[in-house]
Amino acid sequence: MKVTVCIGSSCHVRGSRQVVEQLQDLIRDYNLNDEVELCGSFCMGQCQLGVCVKVDDEFCSVTPEGTRAFFEEKVLKPLNKQ
Amino acid sequence: MNDLCVEIGYNIINHVGEELCGDHVESVGQGEDSSVLVLADGLGSGVKANILSILTSRIISTMIAEGLPLEECVKAIAATLPICSVRKVAYSTFTIIRLINNEMAEIICYDNPPVILIRNGVPTDLPGRDMIVGGDKKVHKSELRLQEGDILVAVSDGCPHAGIGVAYNFGWQLKDIADFIATASVAGYNAKTLSTMLVEECDRLYGGKPGDDATACVVRVRRRAPVNILFGPPRNRDDDARMMTLFFSKGGKRIICGGTTASIASQYLGSPITTELHYQSSGLPPIAHMEGVDLVTEGIITISRVIEYAKDVLDQNERHEEWGYGHDGACLISRMLFEEATDVNFFVGRAVNPAHQDPNLPISFNIKMKLVEELSELLRKMGKRIKVMYF
Repeated sequence: MKVTVCIGSSCHVRGSRQVVEQLQDLIRDYNLNDEVELCGSFCMGQCQLGVCVKVDDEFCSVTPEGTRAFFEEKVLKPLNKQ
Repeated sequence: MNDLCVEIGYNIINHVGEELCGDHVESVGQGEDSSVLVLADGLGSGVKANILSILTSRIISTMIAEGLPLEECVKAIAATLPICSVRKVAYSTFTIIRLINNEMAEIICYDNPPVILIRNGVPTDLPGRDMIVGGDKKVHKSELRLQEGDILVAVSDGCPHAGIGVAYNFGWQLKDIADFIATASVAGYNAKTLSTMLVEECDRLYGGKPGDDATACVVRVRRRAPVNILFGPPRNRDDDARMMTLFFSKGGKRIICGGTTASIASQYLGSPITTELHYQSSGLPPIAHMEGVDLVTEGIITISRVIEYAKDVLDQNERHEEWGYGHDGACLISRMLFEEATDVNFFVGRAVNPAHQDPNLPISFNIKMKLVEELSELLRKMGKRIKVMYF
């Protein structure tokens, strides 16, 4: 699974740093380093939605506060890790 | 015409407890390739010294910039300076460095410590002769054909007096100052940084309480080094190819600022962008890598930080430690622009990013245009040649 977080200007001011750091921690805590590839990207053209995170080919918008919920819903569930 | 250029930088520390400085530096350009640098040290310290030194440096630099020979200027100064009622002498000592066509330097020194020359990384004798000007003023004159890597250092006597009785018996000897600069110069620091290092060392030798105003002026001769910056996508997307062709046809280093801009370049070159996910402590967005480009960063936030650093460089240069050694996008750009570049070419796209039109965000299109204007003005003040092209 590939999770891409936008680190462009617009997402940056909306908190992409916190999202990236929380995801890094969560992936480590759940020991998913082998299954989830976390990477960054400049603008993906979906800025209006908030911090743009792409899970494989699906675009999601994530807030720093909602990162855990996003992780459970979009990462853990599909991987059957809950 | 050669491909050399000179970089001028200076820094001053004040006599402890004085708000006004008795040293003054004026630097005036004469066209693109020539300039005059005057370092004047007014007698004593405080307001009288301040006025004397400003008068002296302004008069000399203006006269020379208007084309009068050095001897005439010195005569005029000797005849016009007011006489101190306490000491019955009228003067401000001075050093003049006149740089002609990036080829020659003409140096005149009146009672200031002699100018130091560093050539090929080692202190070198600067040949010259004494001459009498205006009847009884003895000045020392040198002429020098400039070479790449030459560094000229003019200091006020506050520098060699640093540390008298505290760190050294006889102060910081000129020979040792020359060694200090020669050692530092090998690392490739720019003129401003070298001058800052020198006065900071003086401050340290004075134990943080300078007994005199201390000034260091550094002139550094180097080969021209262009840096090209691409900032923002073109207003009309049909211009993508034209903008990229121009940008990639230029010689020198290349920086791309902005995510969308980077993806246009990536398509043009056919080389993918790899984004780092590692945040530096500064909190700026991470940088990215692309083959064929020296540096890829985020746009507006990073450039705003570069502007903060540029303002500081022109002021007290207090944040040098930050940008001089940091690894985030702004530090990397700052080092390339402030230290490496002599010519900076901006390729600015005027596209409006719809995501930036959100009133809740601290960025907007106007800010972007202002950033370019502000940065190019600051770089111009640092003595760089700037070209801005809009698309």
